[in-house]
Amino acid sequence: MLNYILKRFLIFIPTFIVITLLGFMISVNAPGDPVERMVSAAESGDAVNTQTRNQREQIQFWTHKLGLDLPVFYVSLSSLSQSDTLYKIYDKDEREALDRLVGKYGNWEEIQRYYQEINAFDNLQLIRPADSTIIHGPDRNKILDVVNAIKSETVLLKASYDDVVIRHAFEKINHLLQAYPLFSAAQMKFKIIGERYEHLFATATPWKNYVPKLNFYANNQYHRWLFGDGEFSKGLIKGDFGISYTSKEPVSNIILSKLGWTVFFSLLSVILAYFVSIPLGVRAAVNRGSHSEKISSLILFLLYSMPAFWLATLLLITFANPDVLHWFPASGVKPVTGYEEGAGFWNKVKASLPYIVLPAICYTYSSFAFLSRTIRVSMLEVLTQDYIRTAKAKGLSDKQIIWKHAFRNALFPIITMFGTVLPSVIGGSVILETIFTIPGMGSEAIEAIHNNDYPMIIAILTITSILTLIGFLIADILYAIVDPRISYK
Amino acid sequence: MNIAQTENKNFRDAWLRFKKNRIAYYSYKMLIFLVVLALIAPFIATDMPWYCKYKGTHMFPAFSFANGCEVKDVQSGQTEKIQYDIADWKHLDAESIVFAPIPYAPSKTDYDNSDYVSPGGKQSFMTSNGKMVDMPGRFRHWLGTNKAGQDVLSGLINGTRVSLLIGFISMGIASLIGIFLGGLAGYFGNKKLHNSRGVCWSITLGIALGFYYGFFIRSYLLKDALAISNAELVKELIISLFIFTFILFLFYIVGKLLERISWMKKQVYIPVDSFVSRVIEILISMPLLILIISFSAIAKEKSLVNVMVIIGLTSWTSIARLTRAEFMRVATLDYIQSAQALGFKQRRIIFRHALPNAIAPALVAIAFGVASAILLESALSFLGVGVPADLVTWGSLLNSGREKFQAWWLVIFPGFAIFVTVTVYNLLGEGLRDALDPRLKE
Repeated sequence: MLNYILKRFLIFIPTFIVITLLGFMISVNAPGDPVERMVSAAESGDAVNTQTRNQREQIQFWTHKLGLDLPVFYVSLSSLSQSDTLYKIYDKDEREALDRLVGKYGNWEEIQRYYQEINAFDNLQLIRPADSTIIHGPDRNKILDVVNAIKSETVLLKASYDDVVIRHAFEKINHLLQAYPLFSAAQMKFKIIGERYEHLFATATPWKNYVPKLNFYANNQYHRWLFGDGEFSKGLIKGDFGISYTSKEPVSNIILSKLGWTVFFSLLSVILAYFVSIPLGVRAAVNRGSHSEKISSLILFLLYSMPAFWLATLLLITFANPDVLHWFPASGVKPVTGYEEGAGFWNKVKASLPYIVLPAICYTYSSFAFLSRTIRVSMLEVLTQDYIRTAKAKGLSDKQIIWKHAFRNALFPIITMFGTVLPSVIGGSVILETIFTIPGMGSEAIEAIHNNDYPMIIAILTITSILTLIGFLIADILYAIVDPRISYK
Repeated sequence: MNIAQTENKNFRDAWLRFKKNRIAYYSYKMLIFLVVLALIAPFIATDMPWYCKYKGTHMFPAFSFANGCEVKDVQSGQTEKIQYDIADWKHLDAESIVFAPIPYAPSKTDYDNSDYVSPGGKQSFMTSNGKMVDMPGRFRHWLGTNKAGQDVLSGLINGTRVSLLIGFISMGIASLIGIFLGGLAGYFGNKKLHNSRGVCWSITLGIALGFYYGFFIRSYLLKDALAISNAELVKELIISLFIFTFILFLFYIVGKLLERISWMKKQVYIPVDSFVSRVIEILISMPLLILIISFSAIAKEKSLVNVMVIIGLTSWTSIARLTRAEFMRVATLDYIQSAQALGFKQRRIIFRHALPNAIAPALVAIAFGVASAILLESALSFLGVGVPADLVTWGSLLNSGREKFQAWWLVIFPGFAIFVTVTVYNLLGEGLRDALDPRLKE
């Protein structure tokens, strides 16, 4: 038995890894730049001028803090010509432009030099303190305009890869630099860029692009995401899922505060569903073929096909509608004003009860219809077995036969069902929590989707999957306990 | 009697049994009705009239491919251009006009009857001279309107299309994947698919290099192609696939050559079954709705196609499981063994002999799968995730009823439509299972 459980745990590990990989893959491919979401856009005015030194520092800080200056994964495939340090460039557009240049010319060293020259030019102070006399002259605004134009052209140049576009940018900047004599030093500097570019052209080694290369990185984004870096992130293993884009708070804190209601409703519904469906399913199997059984199984079938969100909405417009019946409140899980101060546990339960009734019904009914049907089928199978006939021949009472002999053996599928019911309940919570405005993980997921809050979405996906996996694990172990034959297979 | 005839007889028997099952047969008929309704929906629920005679010109706007025509006024000699989809047909001064049974398009708004007009309540109509009168019978909103003034009945009828399309396409994708993987896993198991060490290693290397030369190097090319057009992307993808296959083939030959070394000739078993079972286990343990929501979060734009593909890619597990079990059973049967003994090729045995017999349980899973795909789509549009906002579907109609509890017609009718469709598919699956299950055959 212990062996079996151990083995089951070992299978759990690769599944867990794949799930984290999937979550990570989604987060890497999420549109938009996470750093941009983090850097406060408050000081943004003009598109180019916001690239102030301060903001660049902020970008670099967040890139480092979010671990985006690391390679993505343990292994990466690249060509011989590609640099294995390209990921260090934090601007997505620039990175792509450089990558494309490498793909064209295949000589990273030269391209790097070219890029460094542009950067040096970009950081150059076009107007030196010595020129302050000119700056206070009558041409002040015009000169500043030109400086701005040059800056913006340089930013564009950094993100361009097409030969025609680059040459065009060269011409434009050159033209701008010629406008005022005080740019002569910059002009000299700019010439070097052009030379570098020509040099890059001359020393191209495109064949290097056709030689594959594998790179290995011990420290990478996935590793950091999983295990943390000891500085900013503790890693998924220790329950750190990163920082929410919208509230800028750790995702795990938010989820922890929301997890309660989701788990409460999931467990409540599964327990209720088992309570209702076991007698129902067993009775249906025993009274097979009778009129009442046919009707009840038809009703169960119809319930099973009924969309939960329809039932929920129907219940709401009937029982939480001031025009029809106003028995229950329409949303939330507790009074809007909160619980009374100093209220004890039972008083809190009493206050929350009316809020819980409708959602509990909706949570329960779909799994209960499904469960009763499965129990009925498995009971039917058991009831046709020989040993049931033997038991009857022995003169045992019906009650004894059903509950002691038949039901025990029909238990197995009921236990495995636990593994299947749980994910559907957790998945269903997305809809029901939204309808009933329950502050749980499901409604948080929908909110995160509408806000494109990717760390939150991935955290919820990963957590729900892990919860489900644990459900499976428990079901499998219970299965082995109930039916010892399983563990010897 | 040869195998083919037995198979035919089995299918005929199953069909007869299916027909005898009254509930299943009615649901089958209901499904046909739904399909027909989906096909003709754009003609019976549209604001474009079937026929219109205006200033002497005959027009068939609802059936016309062109979106407009020019009408010449005989007296003044002026030409007037009528654009079919935006013309105000209900106020057109036409000589004769025949409207569709439901003279409203699903997404178009009736401003005079906006803000939740109930089916039985007062509906108003503005005549050509600007006077508000009671709604004439033929323009009535039989099932009311929503907040924007869209006709609910028209939305329901056209929503049939969306729902069935989702069911068919997503399950089409899912059954392709499910039957393929399930069949592989069931037929080959862990011990049947083997090849020489040389070929295995060579092929593995070939896949990596094929990916490198086919897709990795060309990644920016593909990206640029996508920016131009989809057709361009498909063209480039075909080139990439060609490169990939070519390299794979090359390495296969290298592997065959390597077999001359005896050490390379040793057989390696490929554990197909374990692999497929693990993938299924992983997919099952992810709550489907949350997985789909996460995927649609990274999709660039909301589109129905995305939703279909995502549902298809994630819901093939039950099909694969059933196909796998059936293939496992079939593979041990006498006729497959004798086919193997006769020296038939694997491919022939799988496609001609095993597949037709193993497909029945998959069919059952597909029917149930369609039901849950429709349910998923309506849940997604109910939540407003993944499906474009301007598309009128059953789920989005139902969602619009949530904003105003008094508008019961927005909750009852679309919900009922979803319910009926899902039930039809579930009953169909149930009936198929009963008809195809040989154990029930007396």
